[in-house]
Amino acid sequence: MLLQVNFKSGLPIYLQLVDQVKAAAASGALRPGEALPSIRPLAEDLRVNRNTVAKAYSELESLGVIETLPGRGCFLKENHSALRKEVRRKLLIVEIDQAIVQAHHLQVPRDEFLELIRQRIDVLDVKRRSNENHKED
Amino acid sequence: MTSPAPAIHIENLSYAYGRSEAVHDLSLTVQPGRCYGLFGRNGAGKTTTMKCLLNLLHPQRGQVRVFGLDPTKHEVEVKRLLSYVPDQVAFYPWMSVRETLDYLASFRPQWNRKIEQELFDRFGLDPAQRTASLSKGQRTQVALIAAICPETDLLVLDEPTSGLDPIVRREFIQTVIGAYQQGIPGKRTILVSTHLITEFEGLIDEFTIIDRGRVVLTQDSDHARQSHQKIRARFAQAPPELDLTTALRVRREGRELELIANGTGLQLMELLRSHNPEELSTESLTLEEIFVATLKS
Repeated sequence: MLLQVNFKSGLPIYLQLVDQVKAAAASGALRPGEALPSIRPLAEDLRVNRNTVAKAYSELESLGVIETLPGRGCFLKENHSALRKEVRRKLLIVEIDQAIVQAHHLQVPRDEFLELIRQRIDVLDVKRRSNENHKED
Repeated sequence: MTSPAPAIHIENLSYAYGRSEAVHDLSLTVQPGRCYGLFGRNGAGKTTTMKCLLNLLHPQRGQVRVFGLDPTKHEVEVKRLLSYVPDQVAFYPWMSVRETLDYLASFRPQWNRKIEQELFDRFGLDPAQRTASLSKGQRTQVALIAAICPETDLLVLDEPTSGLDPIVRREFIQTVIGAYQQGIPGKRTILVSTHLITEFEGLIDEFTIIDRGRVVLTQDSDHARQSHQKIRARFAQAPPELDLTTALRVRREGRELELIANGTGLQLMELLRSHNPEELSTESLTLEEIFVATLKS
């Protein structure tokens, strides 16, 4: 996997690496058992402190996202469903936040906004059910 | 157990050449295993500070410690613990590259031949070439090999990449990361002075900006990038008169505003937002932008 860093994001460098691997694992861009780049070449490629990469990898290891096989390198773990859930929530929160900001701009009050979300969930539920019924027919 | 001595500890250091003061009341601490940047313009006092670490100059006021040792009293021990790449590399011109490295290795208790060969290959150097005929880039490469092979606990780099072409500069930094940092992580400390900050951006954990011999800012790099923000706002009409005194810098052009802030970004964003901008965005500054913003404000 090709990792990168952005010095203008304001996020600590090690965290940028951690987040990229987590996101790639959640989206399936990185598959269980696939190798991550070794610490030294990655640090050289990105021209980033070796300790920063090592810190990112040990963080990923303690989160149970990757495992280190001595002498062979770091690999994405087979089972990381807990992480997937956390990352998915994070992705969803970004979308929800955008909707909240938009509601603020359009001067939709809080209660009305929450009510609207409930309504939309119901509408989409109905849609999904009717789709499933069609399939069964 | 007491914590290990800092790799470098400088306290209230002052040094003057005659009447002109090069360093004034400078203090900084570098913990073992860190990569520390010393940023300043030409003549800011970077080299003078480094020369005090190496006992090439004696502090006139204040004190300097390297792994707890005073370089003026323990010169040999201190020199054994560190290696140094100066801004102007000089070798005996009649020696070949091979002879030069053997000569330098003879002063060192250890010398890693494997790394030496690896770096020879990487740089494509000819061991038989006389040092007098080396280019500036090649001279720096030989100096870097000589600094890395003894595997010292501290690597001091004084403007190592100025005057080199971009490819050599890139290789230099990759070599520091790959070959030097390969050792025991807590035992490889780097102090680098430079005004070419962009290239070292990812390597530097913590830095001090000095100007006219004085410390202007000391910060952790991640923290510095988090707290320094560039904020852009565009309004529907000419922007209202706002109190922007907490910004380091303000640019105005028509309906647009651009602010640079250190630590006051959230407040300023809030202030701008309360005047309903058409567009409001923010990004962090790079270390080089932080350097420029700090010295120009």
